[in-house]
Amino acid sequence: MDIGIEFYEQGRKEFDDFRKGLMSDKTLPVSTRDYLHVGNENFKSAQSPLMDAQKFNPKNAKLNYMLGFIRFFEAPASKEALGFLSDAFRLDPETEQDLPYWLGWCYQLNVNWDEAIKYYNVYLGRLNLKPKSHVVEIEDVQKKIAECNNGKIFSAKPERVFVDNLGPAVNTQYPEYSPAITADEETVIFTARRDNSTGGKKDSDAGFYEDLYISTKSNGKWQPSKLLSKNVNSEFHDASAGLSPDGSKLFVYRHSGKDGGDLYESTLFGIDWEPPVHMNKNINTKYHESSVSLSFDGKRIYFVSDKSGGFGDRDIYYSDMDLKGEWGLSKNLGPDINTKYGEEGVFMHPDGKTMYFSSQGHNNIGGYDIFMSTLENGKWSKPVNLGYPINGPDDDVFFVVSGSGNRAYFSSSKQGGYGDKDIYKITFLGPEKEPLLSTEDQLLAMVANPISNLKTEAAVEIKTSKLTILKGVVTDAKTNAVLEATIDLIDNDKNEVLATFKSNSATGKYLVTLPSGKNYGIAVKREGYLFHSENFNLPDNADYQEFTKDVALKKIEVGSTIVLRNIFFDFDKATIRPESANELDRLIKLLNDNPTLKIELGSHTDSKGSDDYNMKLSDSRSKSVVDYLITKGISAGRLVAKGYGETKPIDTNDTDAGRQNNRRTEFKILEK
Amino acid sequence: MRLNLLLFFLGAFFVSSAQDTVKVNTTISPEEQAQQNYNDGITALNKGEGQLAADLFSKSIELKPDFEKALYNRCVAYTLVRNYPSAMSDINKVLSTSPNNIEARFAKAMVFFGQSQKDSTNRWLDNCLGIGKHAEAYYYKGIMSYQAGDYNEAIKEYSGAIEVKPDYAYAYNDRASAKRAINDLTGAIADYEKALSLNPSFVFVYNNLGSVYRVSKNYDKAIEYYTKAMTAKPDYLIALNNRGAAKLESGKLDDAKKDFEEVLKKDPKNSQAFNNLASVALKQKDYKKAKDMAGKAIELNANNGAAYFNRGIARQMLREEDGSCADWKKAADLGVSAAKSFMNTDCN
Repeated sequence: MDIGIEFYEQGRKEFDDFRKGLMSDKTLPVSTRDYLHVGNENFKSAQSPLMDAQKFNPKNAKLNYMLGFIRFFEAPASKEALGFLSDAFRLDPETEQDLPYWLGWCYQLNVNWDEAIKYYNVYLGRLNLKPKSHVVEIEDVQKKIAECNNGKIFSAKPERVFVDNLGPAVNTQYPEYSPAITADEETVIFTARRDNSTGGKKDSDAGFYEDLYISTKSNGKWQPSKLLSKNVNSEFHDASAGLSPDGSKLFVYRHSGKDGGDLYESTLFGIDWEPPVHMNKNINTKYHESSVSLSFDGKRIYFVSDKSGGFGDRDIYYSDMDLKGEWGLSKNLGPDINTKYGEEGVFMHPDGKTMYFSSQGHNNIGGYDIFMSTLENGKWSKPVNLGYPINGPDDDVFFVVSGSGNRAYFSSSKQGGYGDKDIYKITFLGPEKEPLLSTEDQLLAMVANPISNLKTEAAVEIKTSKLTILKGVVTDAKTNAVLEATIDLIDNDKNEVLATFKSNSATGKYLVTLPSGKNYGIAVKREGYLFHSENFNLPDNADYQEFTKDVALKKIEVGSTIVLRNIFFDFDKATIRPESANELDRLIKLLNDNPTLKIELGSHTDSKGSDDYNMKLSDSRSKSVVDYLITKGISAGRLVAKGYGETKPIDTNDTDAGRQNNRRTEFKILEK
Repeated sequence: MRLNLLLFFLGAFFVSSAQDTVKVNTTISPEEQAQQNYNDGITALNKGEGQLAADLFSKSIELKPDFEKALYNRCVAYTLVRNYPSAMSDINKVLSTSPNNIEARFAKAMVFFGQSQKDSTNRWLDNCLGIGKHAEAYYYKGIMSYQAGDYNEAIKEYSGAIEVKPDYAYAYNDRASAKRAINDLTGAIADYEKALSLNPSFVFVYNNLGSVYRVSKNYDKAIEYYTKAMTAKPDYLIALNNRGAAKLESGKLDDAKKDFEEVLKKDPKNSQAFNNLASVALKQKDYKKAKDMAGKAIELNANNGAAYFNRGIARQMLREEDGSCADWKKAADLGVSAAKSFMNTDCN
């Protein structure tokens, strides 16, 4: 995956860093210092007279070296760079000591691993003549040889993927990059440097300042992207640094020139983003902070910083939200993830366990590669390289994965796009799917008609996310007006609120991601309305699924009913299970907040069992709930217990799901 | 019960248990006429002419109402033509007079077997075995267990049949299949080979043996046995298709393709061969051809789950994602479990 070499303020990468070094004239090879004016623009001005000279004398090794060097930094994988450098080496291998290094790197970027290793080894041999004088260079070239060896292994068994440009609704002739995507892949926010950027100014690299853009999907197609409002975009660099899984919080990277670049947080309010707020000192330092990813419950943030005290260069840190809602002291993710080289582009999957990030310091193919690690029993697993061609010899960063885990989004300068960097979608295909042969055997002698014997190959090994996405729209049950409501996500087993979300005030939309392995209660609340409850009991092995659940909140008025989905009883008994506590507390709060309410607690069963048995069971259960409320101080005169048995089904009794819906506790307002 | 199944059952049955013919005098008395009709009935039965046989046995019984052998054989004839109520009536009459007739008990089990009444079949097979060892009763107990998926029990029953009748080639074949089902491939090969040694004309056993070798990934042996099956019976397209499959699995794609095309030459409407050609095309990454071939397989057999499965793969690679998911859903509905897996991994 070729990200390209253009630099932007948010994510200085390997080539960009190198080129900046060149511009400062500190790391420029001695041999070229006398001939070249440094800097991007000056490379271009130097090229023309050198080309004229080369035409006059194409067999001048040094001239070819210089042209190859310039072309390498303009287009590192270009045939011209490779041609000039190869010619230089062929004409005079000794013309410059570092010639085989650039030639090796050029081959590496062209995925020619063996040739790259060959030239790196030539260079290494030269350095080893005076090893003490070349400690840094030796380490660098040895790393590159290791990258090529990794590249041989990975490219021998390429990952099967589709790579699709997101199309002209998102991509233009200008650079688009750093996509952030909601868990349901319905919204993408990204950075672009277009001619309509806020303020219309250009940076020193002649490109427009960065701004954030948004595109949403309608009927499966991306709609034309729009510039986010001036709340978010200033006339300087404003870049996308991350998006919460529900799409309600946006992280913005800004660089004002006073520091190394900081992170800001903006919240979606209605249809617009609020002005980004500078994140606190536990996140931002005088150093460079860049990409951000929020955990599914919004209580932990992962971010990248090159602040001092890490393992070297940029590292990934995390911070937990304290009881006041502030981000606490940050902690380094440790040496399993962070290396003495750079880490960048952190993305925590909404499954709560899988982290994707870019690093220069693991078993790389070249530049930054994308790695995956999972959190198992509080420890991060050994990072796994996502393989070729997801990773290539160039920089691969800012990689975000869909909620389903089957797709990812990234930016690339690959050919065939709309110009400069574009945003692409990767679809993971997993191992090659084996065809199914039609074969027959006559296994039983007496059966002259053959028994069909289909051979089935093993299923593909794509791991789908163990994740459920719940989304929908909250409305008023009577008027259908969209509502902003609070959505509590509860761990029923622990009786604790895991996270609180809000539906959008302008659209009523909400999105909640539920990693598998918990019994979740969901309570949708708004003042003046009855709360709405849902239950998702997701075992560890529950596969990825999406539910659309529109919630119509009912006003607190006589006759209104709600189903209490998170009240549980022991099997065939009226004993209330402990995991019902949070729902019951909510009910108690409702009754305390509305002291004149008189309600009926109705219990219903499915049709299994006799009518009489079901009636008795439901009667006992409704009384259990009433008794519980009385013990919590609710006046008995406000509560009526009623068992309905199987007489009032709300769903079919022919399926497990239908029967589960029918087994329920309801309450109805009798008096207000 | 399938007709051919009955044919087999009756064929095997007569060899071991058809009642003896009766000598006829030249002067025809009613009793003699009854005997003549009876003998003609047996001849018809041996030719597989069930209804004619039943009619002849009926004439015989009209002339001699207490003719138990004729009643018994008419039961067999009725079973052959799937007239189970009449067969049951006859065998019940036989059993009312001869309740310990082991062959009659077995015949009653077969009437139930023909009607797929599993519990009653098993009960009457047990009744049969309750009064003596009976190779066919063990054999059918083995079939019942096999079809119920209880392969270990099936092996036990087939072994019982072989103990009573050591040259019981069918029982060896079926026991081999049961062993294959529990992945005892060595045992399966030994039993199939024994079946062939007892009856080298069993073409289907060559095919079965080839398939065990194919499952064992011993493709050379598999191809050898499939070829033997086809040599013995050149129009045995099952073995030709299977040989192509063995060649494909061993990576000989062009050779496999030739076998599948040969099947289609002999049977242009062979849905399985079209699907296998789709498999070859998938392996060759010719997704358009794979889609076309699988489409033809589906045209010929709308229940070909493998063809939907393969067309789904081809459509995915042709970037027709909606079509591929629709095909995998159909394949999953038709019982292809891998398609369900793809639905989950690729269609979200």
